[in-house]
This record gives sequence, structure tokens and C-alpha cells, in this order.
Amino acid sequence: MRRLAFVALAATLSCATVDRIRSGNITASDIQTATKVVKGIQSLNEEIRPEQEYYVGRSVATNILAKHDYKYLDKAAIERGDLSGVTRYVNDVGNVVAAAAMETHRDGDRPAPIAGWHFVVVESDLINAFAAPGGFIFITTAAVKTARSEDELACVLAHEVAHVVRGHALGNIQKSRLAGVSSDVLQAAGREALSPEQVNQLNGLLEGIIQDTLDALFVKGYSRDTEFEADRLGVEIAARAGYDPQAMTRFLQTLAKEQDTGKGGFFATHPAATDRLAKLANEMPKYAAVTVPKVRVSRFKTAIETVR
Amino acid sequence: MTRRTMWAAVLAAALGASGVVAAQGGKTVTVQTLTGKVQKTPSFLAPTVAKVVRGDQLSSLEQQKDWLRVTTKDGQSGWISKASVVDKAVALSTKPGGGAGGVSEDEVALAGRGFSPEVEAKYRSTHPDLDFSHIDKIEKLDVDGGELAKFVADGKIGGGK
Repeated sequence: MRRLAFVALAATLSCATVDRIRSGNITASDIQTATKVVKGIQSLNEEIRPEQEYYVGRSVATNILAKHDYKYLDKAAIERGDLSGVTRYVNDVGNVVAAAAMETHRDGDRPAPIAGWHFVVVESDLINAFAAPGGFIFITTAAVKTARSEDELACVLAHEVAHVVRGHALGNIQKSRLAGVSSDVLQAAGREALSPEQVNQLNGLLEGIIQDTLDALFVKGYSRDTEFEADRLGVEIAARAGYDPQAMTRFLQTLAKEQDTGKGGFFATHPAATDRLAKLANEMPKYAAVTVPKVRVSRFKTAIETVR
Repeated sequence: MTRRTMWAAVLAAALGASGVVAAQGGKTVTVQTLTGKVQKTPSFLAPTVAKVVRGDQLSSLEQQKDWLRVTTKDGQSGWISKASVVDKAVALSTKPGGGAGGVSEDEVALAGRGFSPEVEAKYRSTHPDLDFSHIDKIEKLDVDGGELAKFVADGKIGGGK
């Protein structure tokens, strides 16, 4: 095992360094470089760090926007650096549930997204929502209109937050991609700058990871168990935030009715709404009923009335 | 206590922000998120006392569940989520992965030398059809904790409990 580790380590070091190690004339610089590489091996093999997830998330998010022809609500305000209109409202709701999700750390939860949580309303007639890695969450105008209350909207966003918190998107990355590139990444670990070839190798990894993630979001969907976990945890998060957890059931009931209309982007990549309702039925008795105040009903109507 | 602050307090309690205070003992922590907030109380809904950026080092005085009471280099005190910091003093570049040659050993140890601005630049050059200016703007958008607390209070979120 030691020999295997040495071979792996040697593969990542420069020829000159390896020659010095073989001859026994190891310099302090060699030890420093080897230390950096070993640390890099440990961290990269342990997990994809938030720093890596950030770059994957930015690129996946840009691909999601491109698939919607960069049509999203309140674009002019966003370009000015402001949150306004429906986007401000959705970000308020989203950040409340994200805060609730982040207050308690469960085993296996991802660290906080390093760029924070961001919610974007993309223009689409398909009822859908997407969570890119790194806390970039998208909901379609059709999904916003399908939600009948702020609490239902909160539950939909909580489902997406749950995907991010549990790292579900990263679970779609083919393991061979990481295994195949670790040594390439590590060759760069102890150096001052990346060579063009190293950039190319890392770009190949980034391309692969983005493709795997987009396939899961738009074509294959996540596994059924993953979706059920996001439903279960989404309800838990919404309840902890103070929203009515039963609103998730009501949204899924609406979704079930829409199933035959062809308007459901959810349906291509998610389990049937009736299956999700059946799974959730086991969870719901533990949550107390919440009376939704009229003020929340009225502000929801006001906020989304401009959504077409 | 006003009605607004009462609901904010109710939600903060519901979110589990209250807990036993444990001494941390003058530790230094480093901000790992691109931007971060030092907040008035240990709650994501609390007003922002100071804004910090990735790489800023803060002295931590005590811990309350998943929150640290910290002091910034400017002497401003408040609370920051543990999830936003690395639990030691490390040198982190402002942009994850740094620029060419801009990554410290600390950062390599912490995050590996994987994706970086130059790797993203390569990806962008091979996909000229993708417009990253949108995500550049979106990731800078920010909702203040104070605004969230008002949103919670106005909507009586948690008021049914």
C-alpha cells in the first residue's frame, strides 16, 4: 500500500524531484511540494469542496439560463444589482427556508454555498424548478403560477434547497470522472501556475461534470429515492421555517391534476405526483396544522399578480 | 417588544438559534464564503452588523450552537454562521482557486487546486454561446437579514405555532 501511494505520489511530481527522491538527495523544496500534493490528494478524494461546487454551479446555472434564452423576471433590476418585484419576493421566501435549512446541520449535509442562496424566476410554460449545485435555484413562471399560496411556493423552494443541502446534484456525477482526473488535478497542486495542458484537463473534468448534472436536471431526472428525500426534507425545512408543511401536499395535488395537460416539466424528470403524495402521507401526521394568516395570502396574490 | 420583533424572536427560537453558550477561547477563524455577514444576534434573520469577504480573519470569542461570536479587524462584534468560516486562520484568495499562481498552500490543502477562474475561462472560451454575465450579476444579489426578519414578521410566518 505504501509503495502504491509512493507511485501515485511520484506520478504527480516533477521528474527532477522524483530523480532526487530516488537518489536520496531530497531537498526541503521537494518535501514542501510533496506535502502540498499529499494534502491535495486527501482533500480532493474526500469530497468536492464548496469551492469546486461553486464553479460547477455557476456553469450549470448559466446553462439553465441559456436553455431559457436568458429570459427571467426582473432582469433590468438584476442588471442594476437590485432585487425587485417577483424576484425579490421569491428571494425573500427562498432565503427564509434556506435559513431554516442551514440552522441545523445533518450528517452528510453540504457546507454553506460559498456564494450564498440565489433564486431566479425563469420564463417557461412548463411547471418546473431546478437546483444547480452551489445554491443557484430556478423556478419557472408556470410553477410560480401553479402555487396557490406563499406556503406552497415555500415548499417548492424548500424541496430545491433540500437538493442542494444534501448534495443530490453532485451524486449524479459519474464517479469515473473524479477517479480519472485526480492525478491531473494534483499535478497542478504544488505549482505556481497551471499549464495550458493542465487547464485543458481540468476543463475536460468541468465539461463532464456539467454534462452529468444537466442530464440529471433535464433528461434523466434524479433517482426516485432522491426526490422522495427532497420532498420529506423540504416539508421538514418549511415547517421549521414556520410555513404550513401541508402546503407541499396541496401543491402536489395540483400537480397531479396537471399531469395530463403536458404542462409539467416536473413530470419528465420526477416521480408521479401521486407516488410522491403516497410517500409523503407517512410523514405528514407528525406535523401540526398551521393556520395561514390572511396577510400572507394577500401579499402572495399581490406579489405574483404580474406573473404571466 | 413590538409585534414585529416578537415574531422575529419566535422564529429565531423556532429555528433553534437559542442554545447553551460555550466558551471558544480567542480562536481565529477565516471567512470562506465570497461575502459574509456578521449579524447582531445568532440568527440568519438578524440585521447585519458588518460585511466580510472571503479570506477575512475574525477572532472568535464564543460559540452558540452553529454560530460564533466574532470581532472583525475593525473591531465590530456580532455573530457569524459556522458554515461560513473555516475553523482556523488560513490564507484564502478572494476568488476561489485564485488567479494564475494565486493560490496559497492553505488553499490547496483546504480545497485542492481544482476549478479556478482560469479553468472557467477555458470552459467559456469553448462555449462562446454561453453568457456568464447573467450569473455574475445574480450571484452578487443579496437579501439582508433585517429585511428577512421584517418579511417574516409582516407575513406572520411561524405565527401559527
